[in-house]
Amino acid sequence: MLAEGKIYCKYLRMHLLSGMEYKGWWLMLIQVLTVVISDPIATVLLFSRFGNIGEWTVAHIILVYSLAVASFGLAESVCRGFDYFPWHLLRSGDFDRLLLRPRSLFVQVAASRFHLHRLVRPFTGICAAGWALGQLGVPLTPGRLGILAMALAGGCLMYCGVFVLTSGLAFFTIKGLDWIFLLTNASYQITRCPEPYLPRMLKSVFSFVLPMLFISFYPAATVCGWGYPRWLGFLSLPSGAAFLGVSLLVWRIGVRHYKSTGS
Amino acid sequence: MNFRNTWRACSSLFRIRMAEGLQYRVSAISGTMVGVFWALIECVLFTVFYTYSENGSWNNNGLSLPQAISYVWLAQGLFVLQSMNIDSEIMSKINNGDVGIELCRPMNLYTHWFVKSSAGKLGTSWIRGLATVLAGLLMPAGYALGGPASLPALFYFLLSAVMAFVLCSAFAMLVTAIRLNITWGDGPTYMLLLLSGILSGTYLPLRLWPDFMQTFLYLQPFGGFADIPLQLYIGSVAPAAALPGIGLQLLWSLIFIAAGRMIMKRRLHSIIVQGG
Repeated sequence: MLAEGKIYCKYLRMHLLSGMEYKGWWLMLIQVLTVVISDPIATVLLFSRFGNIGEWTVAHIILVYSLAVASFGLAESVCRGFDYFPWHLLRSGDFDRLLLRPRSLFVQVAASRFHLHRLVRPFTGICAAGWALGQLGVPLTPGRLGILAMALAGGCLMYCGVFVLTSGLAFFTIKGLDWIFLLTNASYQITRCPEPYLPRMLKSVFSFVLPMLFISFYPAATVCGWGYPRWLGFLSLPSGAAFLGVSLLVWRIGVRHYKSTGS
Repeated sequence: MNFRNTWRACSSLFRIRMAEGLQYRVSAISGTMVGVFWALIECVLFTVFYTYSENGSWNNNGLSLPQAISYVWLAQGLFVLQSMNIDSEIMSKINNGDVGIELCRPMNLYTHWFVKSSAGKLGTSWIRGLATVLAGLLMPAGYALGGPASLPALFYFLLSAVMAFVLCSAFAMLVTAIRLNITWGDGPTYMLLLLSGILSGTYLPLRLWPDFMQTFLYLQPFGGFADIPLQLYIGSVAPAAALPGIGLQLLWSLIFIAAGRMIMKRRLHSIIVQGG
């Protein structure tokens, strides 16, 4: 386990250094920052025109939204390799080489890519969450920080699960995986809508299929005291881990099914 | 090189790219699913804001909820015309130095690439766009795409949508011409495309943007990508005001084409062919 961790860190360091060789690497930071900032513009503009929804202000929404985005960004940073896996490792046949090495497949694939600019998203997300908490007048106690950290960790696990699931399914379909966009960039869009107003179907899909609400909304509700049962806020880590567990199962089956592709 | 030969070359290029695009039917289905999901979330969001927010019932700048929902569905349908990145085939030609080969052809490079990239876009996307719109028509009442405001509105919408296609292609070519300078990397062109996407109204109907920006939003080029045709369809812009809007689209297309041609010509004077 320790050796695998060491390899993972070595891989990341290697990618980081090779990325820095490009003279314009900081341009990518600005680029991602533009994307991240422009994403919630529509929501902010809607609030500025229409005013609050009951007791829901823009700060409430930004808090939930930024938790989801930050955990997505974290997963993107640490599991970038899985994100690229179906396109770059599987179709080209390079995956065969990884199978020959006597090291954990998971670590090798996860660390096969790392981009520094992916860290912009979690960083901005965490800053936005901090701003929203300030707006809402919620002081940060260690307990609350713990819940938020758990939410981020759970969300990170969940989105890692999404990437692993895509990679696992890619063994069977090879191509035509664009729908996975639903589970990644499209999924956190639902946090733009206040939870009490979400249609029941969306709510159950995003709690029990993809535990989206458990990693963003309920922790925020527990931290700010929005009148939901407190224990719901603590479910972020277990639900994220459960999702990752199921995904790993699919991945395992996929690896066993794999009979080499590409040339 | 006479006009007739150029025309024949263009139409066969167009057909080749269309046929190529049609091969990827699975990706069209995936794309439709994403579009429908996206539109549904937007519908939910608009319903919530229009019904429960403080100013929703009056401060909507003449855009009612059914109109906003029709707008969302059609925007997802028209979204396929916008390019999120430069045509991948052309991009790889710029990167690996095949630009040199392209320059040997007895055809203007701008015209050639214009036809190629616009056909590439149309080939895969018209099915996706139509399927998304169809899904919108089949939704349950509250979330369904409504009919056009009137018959002239439908006519002007179709006309304006065709213009939107030309405008999007012209803009994509302008971006490609800028991208010919390889040393800049993807950053600047990517940001241009992102900006155009935001200002096109696909993120949020332009009418719902702050009031002081409305004149600017009407005159800027990217509204022609989606907002002008959509507003004509839902009737928040009267058919009488259609011709100025379509004229605006035409004007911006001409400006983009002229600028693209000029930049490309200048770039080709001092182009450094990369790769080998």
